[in-house]
Amino acid sequence: MRNLLLSSVVALLLAGCTFGHYGKLKQVPAPASGDHSMIPKPIFGDNFNSFLFKTNITVYGKDFSGLLMTKQMSPQDYRVIFTTELGMKIFDFEFKDTSFTLHFCVPQFNKPKLLKTIQRDIEMLLMNNLQEQNFDYYTDQKNVYTIAKAKSEGMYNYYFTEIASKHLVKIEHSKKRVKKTIFTLGNYVNDFPNNIVIQHCDIKLKIELNLLKK
Amino acid sequence: MKKIFSVIFFFATITVFAQAPKGFTNMKDTTAFKQKMESQSKLTNTMESDFTQEKYLSVMSENIVSKGHFCFKKTNMLRWEYTTPYTYLIAINKDKMFIKDNGKINKYDINSNKMFKSINEMMVATVQGNLLSNKDYKAKYYESDKFYLIELFPVQKAAKDFLKSIQLYIDKNDYAVVKVKMTEPSDDYTSIDFSNRKTNQPIGDEKFIVK
Repeated sequence: MRNLLLSSVVALLLAGCTFGHYGKLKQVPAPASGDHSMIPKPIFGDNFNSFLFKTNITVYGKDFSGLLMTKQMSPQDYRVIFTTELGMKIFDFEFKDTSFTLHFCVPQFNKPKLLKTIQRDIEMLLMNNLQEQNFDYYTDQKNVYTIAKAKSEGMYNYYFTEIASKHLVKIEHSKKRVKKTIFTLGNYVNDFPNNIVIQHCDIKLKIELNLLKK
Repeated sequence: MKKIFSVIFFFATITVFAQAPKGFTNMKDTTAFKQKMESQSKLTNTMESDFTQEKYLSVMSENIVSKGHFCFKKTNMLRWEYTTPYTYLIAINKDKMFIKDNGKINKYDINSNKMFKSINEMMVATVQGNLLSNKDYKAKYYESDKFYLIELFPVQKAAKDFLKSIQLYIDKNDYAVVKVKMTEPSDDYTSIDFSNRKTNQPIGDEKFIVK
């Protein structure tokens, strides 16, 4: 009985992060072709503004903190720079259309797997080229969210938009029915999320961004 | 011996022919300056000041400005605290380093980590201005009517990867470091201006312990 209880608790905890609830979603008709109103809008694509975040990265129990800046250079071109609080540059990424350029990375942070993971996470947040993807649309059982689902490189991305506020509140990056990464966007002020948490389910990596300046 | 003379001649040549930054000329008497810096450093037991840090990134339209306060106490105790637009604290107490961020405190042994050791050396040397005696940097000396300017260039390859130069602006009246500018190979830079400086006022040891 005790073991059963324990396994249930463990299963419940795991389910929170790893197993999707996608079977319970109800598909809704897609808008007519050329109508992009249901496609999630890039949160950083705002009049070429720059955004400054206080950032904490926890990877396998180690904490890194610093400042993350994003700047839209042209419609499909973003520069993302991470520095320590003391001003030392850690990395400098550029995402242009579908290409990626590593302008700089300090040797201590230049671990291919970690760098690639962070690159992909930022790519997901920038939401470049979403207009070119094919989406299926769903709602949840309580009809709180519109969910846009796109397939990308064998993975599925689910974009949850709160129907009442029209705010993108969550992105789930999943493989079949298993969630790999959850992006939670909260604390909206003037239609911009002031808190973004990226939680990986398969590796011990968590990135938290808190907006300092827009 | 011949080799030593060649090295001295080489650096002397650099000093003579180096182009001085705008508003500055090559320093006339570097020996007297170094002696004065050293004696001032010996007389300074505590120091505290406000600071304004500006990060310039060529791709960004605005500099990132953060402000805070630091305290220094001999020997090797430093509290460096950002107060706006975020709170972040680094405290160095002899061979221990504390970082307080988001209410969470991490404690490190400075000697266990090469990077922390160099952060410690750099921060303490910056507020004391004693990077001049550090063999990891090649120095150039300039002056204007109000300031001395020391430009330091890292010698080691590992440091050159992320640091092009450090400029220390030193007040001619009291030999205090008033500004530090660290330039990266890409010419992006971080500058730190010090203000409201107080020297040799009592500072309790508890300032350098983070709980």
